[in-house]
Amino acid sequence: MFFRGCAFQRLPSLMASKSKRIHHCFAAEVAGTVAQSTPKRATTMTTESSMADAFSKYADYLNALNEKRERIVKASRDITINSKKVIFQVHRVSKYNREEVLEKAEKDLAAVTDQYMARLVKELQGSDFWKLRRAYSPGVQEYVEAATFYRFCRTGTLLHLDEINATLLPLSDPSLAPLQINVLDYLLGLADLTGELMRLAIGRISDGEVEYAQNICKFVRDIYRELTLVVPSMDDSDDMKAKMDTMLQSVTKIENACFSVHVRGSEYMPLLGSNDPNSILLGVTDIEP
Amino acid sequence: MKLAFRNAYFSLSSRSLNPNPNLPLLPFLLRRVSDSVAPPSLRRLVMETPCSASMAVGESESHAPLSSPPLEKQFEGFCVQLDESGVLRERIRAVVMEIESTTRLMHAGLLLVHQARPSPEVLERPKAQIGVLKELYNRLAEILRECPAQYYRYHGDWRGETQTVVSLLAFMHWLETGNLLLHTEAQEKLGSLNYAVNNLDFGLDVEDYLIGICFMSSELPRFVVNQVTAGDYDCPRKVLKFMTELHAAFRMLNLRNDFLRKKFDGMKYDLRRVEEVYYDVKIRGLTANDDSTGDTTNQEQPQGLV
Repeated sequence: MFFRGCAFQRLPSLMASKSKRIHHCFAAEVAGTVAQSTPKRATTMTTESSMADAFSKYADYLNALNEKRERIVKASRDITINSKKVIFQVHRVSKYNREEVLEKAEKDLAAVTDQYMARLVKELQGSDFWKLRRAYSPGVQEYVEAATFYRFCRTGTLLHLDEINATLLPLSDPSLAPLQINVLDYLLGLADLTGELMRLAIGRISDGEVEYAQNICKFVRDIYRELTLVVPSMDDSDDMKAKMDTMLQSVTKIENACFSVHVRGSEYMPLLGSNDPNSILLGVTDIEP
Repeated sequence: MKLAFRNAYFSLSSRSLNPNPNLPLLPFLLRRVSDSVAPPSLRRLVMETPCSASMAVGESESHAPLSSPPLEKQFEGFCVQLDESGVLRERIRAVVMEIESTTRLMHAGLLLVHQARPSPEVLERPKAQIGVLKELYNRLAEILRECPAQYYRYHGDWRGETQTVVSLLAFMHWLETGNLLLHTEAQEKLGSLNYAVNNLDFGLDVEDYLIGICFMSSELPRFVVNQVTAGDYDCPRKVLKFMTELHAAFRMLNLRNDFLRKKFDGMKYDLRRVEEVYYDVKIRGLTANDDSTGDTTNQEQPQGLV
């Protein structure tokens, strides 16, 4: 009776020492019945320690895994913040400061690669690359976004996946497998790139660089078109599908902005005297509502 | 060979930050080396750029129009690659469906233990299914061997089933031996230890194993209730001892707030249920052998405990 009372009091809190006490009760009980026991009981006594041993190994495994995950998440956050800085740097570009802005962006991007992406190399060896993808994917996507954005502003072309991966090769020493961005993260980063390009296009139009904006428009349209073919086959394509909707909105925004400039060309001309094709509309009476 | 390959990479990558047309060399190098032993992720790079040679044509595109072939080529490559992984996923899902039907059979067979005092024959049918499962997991490992190091990319497709499998195996093991099926033992039963070579890591994931054990522990309260109804009054004591140990062992783990944690949190309710059954049986003096000895030893114990 007494025992029963103790047992129930201990149940709600189940702290380590208390469960050990219950355990001792049973050990005593079992010991008391050892005389009538079957060999099975003897083995349950020994598994008690092997269960604890096994679980201490599992505990070590889980601790190591979670610590690694934490390190990766931290690296991913650093990559995100610093990639965003690169993107903002590139956004500062205008007709007059292009070279300096892009040079600084290049340096910053290289710093992100060398300091932050490098931290992922050691952590993502072997099967951890896919196992812990959720921990680093946002950072890598942001990195892809920054790198492709910089490349577009520099040359007007799309930075390919294997080009990015080639830049990552020197980060690891020969004994380790190199960090390589997988196609899914690349495509997700590309989807975010279109949002930045939309902002860039609108910004360029405000500055009067209409042709630049039209190039951006064409580029973004191409990316969108290519992506529509690829997206359905992606693993877990739900987040990508959401990004595709946003992307279409970005494309539409750019197209509408270019349209406005084209139709209302006369309003934009005086600002900066850029080489607008809209000069032919100069002097045409406004047909605006 | 490997060293030379690496050196080649380094010399190429030094020109990587500017869009230099010399980069096309890279995919060709990859092609040549793909047959020899390359680290898994390099193999991944090779596999992921099947159309890279054709991309080389358009690489020198710094002055090409924006909608030039290079853009398409890269995406065509992605399409091919993603389709391949889609096909792989279909194959994996097919095997997983077979695993699922086998586990259903096993589970149905195991449910018989609730009906009466378990006899060894009851476990025969489920045990026979283990062989089938082993073969199915072998097939899974075969499929995964085609894309080394991508075990976890497709892991979600078989994770749930594997947890169920572990819980059934552990329950059967306990019914037979009264012991906990350990991770290594479970892995062996599924025959996948063989595939732990080559660092392919096709083994039983530890977290899947632990979740499976939690599932198993939720079967035990129901089992113990039915056993007592069927007249086995010793069962609660054994089950309680086992579950207490199990719970104590689980408490050694540091868990995050994920699914495993949730399942583990449920374990204490299972433990309480079993304690209640044990209590019911004990106070009514139904525990045959332990009745006299148990009471005398226990009357001393509580004082020591307080």
